[in-house]
Amino acid sequence: MQDLSITRHFLKGVLSETASASALDWLEVQEEKIRTSPSQMKLFLAFSQASRHFPKEVVKLSEEKNLEARKIRHGFQLTTWTALQTARTVLILGVVSDKDDDWIPILDRLFESADMHEQEALYSALPLLPFPEKLTARAAEGIRTNITSVFDAVALDNPYPSEYLDEAAWNQLLLKAIFMQRPLYRIVGAEGRANLPLARTLVDYVHERWSAGRNVIPELWRFLVPFVDEEILGLLEKVLGEGTNLERKAAALACSDADHPGCPILLSKYPDLEEMIARGAISWEGIGRAFDAER
Amino acid sequence: MMYIDPHIHVTSRTTDDYEAMHKAGIVAVIEPAFWLGQPRTKVGSFQDYFSSLVGWERFRAKQFGIVHYCTIGLNSKEANNVPLAEEVMELLPLYVGKEGVVAIGEIGYDDQTEAEDRFYRLQLELAKEVDLPVMIHTPHRDKKKGTLRSMDVSEEHGLDPGMVIVDHNNEETVKEVLDRGYWAAFTIYPHTKMGSERMVEIVRQYGPERIIVDSAADWGISDPLAVPKTAALMLEKGIPKEHVEMTCYKNALKAYGQSGQMEEKDWLEKEPIDQTKKHGGSTVLRGGQTPRVDNDSSNIIEN
Repeated sequence: MQDLSITRHFLKGVLSETASASALDWLEVQEEKIRTSPSQMKLFLAFSQASRHFPKEVVKLSEEKNLEARKIRHGFQLTTWTALQTARTVLILGVVSDKDDDWIPILDRLFESADMHEQEALYSALPLLPFPEKLTARAAEGIRTNITSVFDAVALDNPYPSEYLDEAAWNQLLLKAIFMQRPLYRIVGAEGRANLPLARTLVDYVHERWSAGRNVIPELWRFLVPFVDEEILGLLEKVLGEGTNLERKAAALACSDADHPGCPILLSKYPDLEEMIARGAISWEGIGRAFDAER
Repeated sequence: MMYIDPHIHVTSRTTDDYEAMHKAGIVAVIEPAFWLGQPRTKVGSFQDYFSSLVGWERFRAKQFGIVHYCTIGLNSKEANNVPLAEEVMELLPLYVGKEGVVAIGEIGYDDQTEAEDRFYRLQLELAKEVDLPVMIHTPHRDKKKGTLRSMDVSEEHGLDPGMVIVDHNNEETVKEVLDRGYWAAFTIYPHTKMGSERMVEIVRQYGPERIIVDSAADWGISDPLAVPKTAALMLEKGIPKEHVEMTCYKNALKAYGQSGQMEEKDWLEKEPIDQTKKHGGSTVLRGGQTPRVDNDSSNIIEN
C-alpha cells in the first residue's frame, strides 16, 4: 500500500474534477482545523457536514485515474464512489496513521454514530486504512447490517474482505450476499475464497429454498464449482432441466468449470449451452449482470 | 394532496402504519428525539437512539416511500437526571450536523424544574451555534405558563422566533405564540392534546399563517393519519384548500426547511420506493418479498 498522503492526494485529485471550488476550499479548511485542534469535535462535525458541500453523485473517473487507483491499492476501485464519500475518506485519511494505531478509537466513534451514508463511506474506506488486521471485527460487524447500501459498501467492489476476513466471517458475507441477492461478481476475490464449508451450507440453502418453492440466484452455482460431487451434480441436473434460461446458463457454466467426471456427460445433453460456453458467450459476470437487469 | 407530518415518533410504529401513511399522501415525516416511555439510564442508550434516528429508521421509512427527517436533542423529562443529561449534552454535537437533522428538539419544559431550565438554555445556545431551528415541546401540565416561559427564555438567548416552532399548542396558547412571531404547531392526539374538530376551528379563526398540524403519534394510542384526516375534515368543513395545504404541508416545509436539510425535491425527485426494487434482504422485506398487496379478505400470508 502506498503512503497515506499519496492516497489522500489522489482522492483530492479525483474530487477536484467533480466538486466545486468552494467545496474544495471548505475541505482544505477542515483538514487544517482537524490537524490543529486538540479535540476530535472538528473531525466529527466536518465528517457529518461534508454533506452540505459535496453531492452524492458518483465521481467521474478517467481511465488514467482508474489505473492510478489500482496502483495505490491492489483491487481498489472507486467506480461507485460518490463525491461526498470521497471527501469523507479524505478527512479520515487525515487522522489515521501507519506509525501507531491510537486513531482506532476515533474511527470507532465515527462508526458508532454514523448515519447511513456515513457508514457507507467508512466501510468503503476500509481497504485504504493502515493496520488492516485490526479492523476485521469492524468489517464483520458491517456485514450484520440490515441496510442494503451499507452491506454493499463492505461486500462489493471492496478488496478488504477477501484479503482479511477469516473463513467464518467471509462465509457469512457470501451467504448473506446470496440471501440478499446481491451481485456476487462484484465481490472482489470471491472465487478464490470458495471453500468446502461454504459449499455445504449453500447446498443446504438450495434445498431449503426449493422446499419453500423459491429460486436461488444463478451466481450461487459458481461457488460450488470446486466441490461438485454426486449430490451437487444432481442439483445441477435439476436446474439444467427445469430452470429459467439464466439459471440454466449458470448451471451449465458451473458444469463446464468443474472437475467432476459426470459434468461433461451432463453438459453434453445440452449442446446449445455447450456451444455458447465454447465461444465464450456465457460468463459469471454476464450472468450476474443479466440477473440484476431482470429484477 | 401531499402531506408532511412534522412530528411523529415512527420508531414506535408498525409497517402497516407506514403503508397507510404513504397511501394517505404523507410524503415526509420529522421524528423528534424524545423519551421512550421510560427513562434511559445510560448515555449509550441515547447514542444508539440518535443513531437509529439518522440511520435505520430513515432507511425503513424510505422503503415505504416516505422521506424521514429528525430533530436531535435532550428532552425535558430526561433532563432531570443531571449526570446523565451532562453526558448527553456531550454527545449532541456528534449528531446535530448530520444530514436530515432539521432542528434541535424536542426541548423545553416538562415539570419546569431547574435542571430542565438549565439544559433547555444550553440547547438553545447549541441551536444558535449550528444555525438550526428549534422544536419546543410545551408541557402537558401548567401548559400556558410553560409555553410563555419557553418563549421568554428563547428570546433571552436571542433566538429569532421565526426559527422556533412551538409545539402542542391549544386554544389557550395559540394567540400569544402567533402574535410573538413563532410557528405554532398543533398535535392531533386523542384525549391528551387536540381533536381534529377543534383544529378546524382554530384554522378558521386564526387563518393558515405559521400554523402547523402534526400527529405526535408514538407508542401510545395515537393516530399516524392525524394530519391527512384533519386535512380532510378541514376541507369538509369549508376551509379553503390553500389553507389546508399551508397547515398540513407548506408551513412545516418552510419552518424546518430553514435548516437547509429539507427540500421539496427530496420527495419529488426521490428514487422509486426501495421495496419495488426487490433488494431481497433489504430487511423490512425479507428474502425477495414483494410489497404487500391488500389482502385483508384472505387468510393467505404470502410466501
